Amino acid sequence: MTYGYTGKILHVNLTKGELEIEEPDEQFYRTYMGGSAMGMHYVLKETPAGVDPFSPDNVLALCTGILTGTPISGQSRLTSVAKSPLTDCIGDAQGGGYFPAEMKFSGFDAVIIKGRSPKPVYLWMHHGEAELRDAGHLWGLKTGDAEDKLKEELDDKRIEVLQIGPAGENLVRFSALISMSNRANGRTGMGAVMGSKNLKAVVVRGKMKPVIANPEKFKEMQKLAKVNMEPTGMDGFGKYGTPGVCSPQHRAGGLPTYNFNSGNFDKHEEIDGHKLYNEHLRGHEKDDQNRFGRDTCFSCTVKCKRVSEVVEGPFKTDAKYGGPEYETLATFGSYCGISDMDAIIHANALCNMYGMDTISCGATIAWAMECWEEGKLTLEDTGGIELNYGNAEAMVKITEMIAHREGFGEILAEGSKKASEIIGRGTEEYLITSKGQEAPAHMPQVKRSLSVIYAANPFGADHESSEHDPGYKAYPERMKEIGLTNPQEKLALNKEMMRFAMITQHLSSAVDSISVCAFVFGASFQLYTPEQLVQAINAVMGWNVDMEEILEVGERRLNMLRAFNSREGVGRESDTLPKKMFKRPLKGGRSDGYFINEEEWEAALEDYYRLCDWDVDTGHPSLKKMESLGLGWVVADNNELSKVIN
Amino acid sequence: MGPLVDFLPNSDRGKAVLNLTNNSTIADMLDKLKIKQKVVVAVNGDEEKGLDHVLSDGDEVLVFTLVSGG
Repeated sequence: MTYGYTGKILHVNLTKGELEIEEPDEQFYRTYMGGSAMGMHYVLKETPAGVDPFSPDNVLALCTGILTGTPISGQSRLTSVAKSPLTDCIGDAQGGGYFPAEMKFSGFDAVIIKGRSPKPVYLWMHHGEAELRDAGHLWGLKTGDAEDKLKEELDDKRIEVLQIGPAGENLVRFSALISMSNRANGRTGMGAVMGSKNLKAVVVRGKMKPVIANPEKFKEMQKLAKVNMEPTGMDGFGKYGTPGVCSPQHRAGGLPTYNFNSGNFDKHEEIDGHKLYNEHLRGHEKDDQNRFGRDTCFSCTVKCKRVSEVVEGPFKTDAKYGGPEYETLATFGSYCGISDMDAIIHANALCNMYGMDTISCGATIAWAMECWEEGKLTLEDTGGIELNYGNAEAMVKITEMIAHREGFGEILAEGSKKASEIIGRGTEEYLITSKGQEAPAHMPQVKRSLSVIYAANPFGADHESSEHDPGYKAYPERMKEIGLTNPQEKLALNKEMMRFAMITQHLSSAVDSISVCAFVFGASFQLYTPEQLVQAINAVMGWNVDMEEILEVGERRLNMLRAFNSREGVGRESDTLPKKMFKRPLKGGRSDGYFINEEEWEAALEDYYRLCDWDVDTGHPSLKKMESLGLGWVVADNNELSKVIN
Repeated sequence: MGPLVDFLPNSDRGKAVLNLTNNSTIADMLDKLKIKQKVVVAVNGDEEKGLDHVLSDGDEVLVFTLVSGG
């Protein structure tokens, strides 16, 4: 009897058209728990060093976790890992919805994909079986249309589809994997990897529900969701969703504006969650947004997803493509100096129908806008489009052009860093990338621990890889659960803040491996505390894990990601921040004049390396650390790695 | 700010003027507003004030929940 997991991993070789099922033992699941750590086990074992991200040899792992599919909030998450075409480092992206749970019900915990199919195919996994099917008729379709066709063809409305859109087919380097036509494994270009394999979609259906070891204890955990809802404020979070933080971010001076040159957006109320809820969510005319304008993931009581529509005008948008999150409102909104909500909702929908990451897409356009404002781009470059800040029509048009790699979109489809290398003319001065990935909408100038996390995170700038500075002081009881009892003053970038960054990074890393939602399980505002995550795991699995073991799973996964980069020859030199964060003080609002002192930041980075037991000169994990995490095999199996890790 | 706007009486774009008794603390203000969840409070732009901080006439108080994602 296995609890939680199905015990089956599907291996797919697209070149040969072969499928194999592996049945790992329980120790395997306890070591990795699923998600990113489980995927990295296969990526490190099966991907050759130095692989081209678009090569058939780049292994793409799609993994659920031990809790996925059990009826508790925040568990329906799937993690994708592969070498990233955006960063040329390891790539990693999480997504939710109903697909992850349904994949578990289909009888598989994970799919490990390698090779390249000679023609477009989709993978059909159902009731413990799997097969590859022709997808020639789906190639080129928007996500919503492809999903409709698959439901018709398989004669089942309850299938779930994880797919690439035309952008993934066109190898746009920040293409996403999309499910339900509105949920994304957005970051690091996992959609382009799938596109390079001629794999249009993974389609799942099943009834094989995971077995729970301790149903009584599990019931208690389910009930806790109700108990925790009001005191954590998650009821309000569910109502207004992540967009509810737009105005608070502005007030704190941390709403990235004009391509990260300011944390102050005068028109913040125009892109805030209240405006979205009151005027744009489906059902707002009848004041019935709760019923028509909010959506959720399998068995999640938080219900934070937006369903928005634009019923008329140039930005008319179908509600099936969901609604913008905070990140999207910022990247297409304040980053670009745009306050036209209809345009942002439309750009969000374009990203979901073509399959692109809204963060990298919006931020790449914002970078191009700054280049335009600074006179580095001309009408000749853009094909006649004026790219001034605030130009909503241009933003929407460019989004569409990127998806099709049409005109100037061909260059921007490479992501802003590679685009700056193509264009030159000093345009790299305006980048907001770390490892080539565009920064999300939380400002390291304002939340200083993020300055080190954005730089050192193995898959580039990321806001979900650690807790943010204010959480340390605001949630002392929860922080204590993970050994953090010494909160620091605002803007501190000292050793204790590096401890905070690293330990909460280990917890976030565990969350991405267990593959649960970062809004439901965590050490600050989330619905469940870290200890309650431990209890949920033990209730489902019948194990006796403790917090230390969970944090170690997170540390293991972080070092696997890091070791992948080390094998690619990527180390400390890539752990950098965009130049402008050091050189250009922010303008206006609460954070006026804020910048990051480079000397102080270098010292903090070295403190962080020492805490992680990574070499201060090279940034590579030490052999001792790798061995202590049971990862000696990673070094032993890789010649390139054993040369740099010792 | 954010979802907490729903707790404000007669709110205009998330802003309202409250009448509190003398020597009211931040905790008293949150009680009056029936805000029970974990919040961060800034008084006149200073986020370092605890729940027992005594408010003065004319203070601008910002109340918000933290969300570190999106």
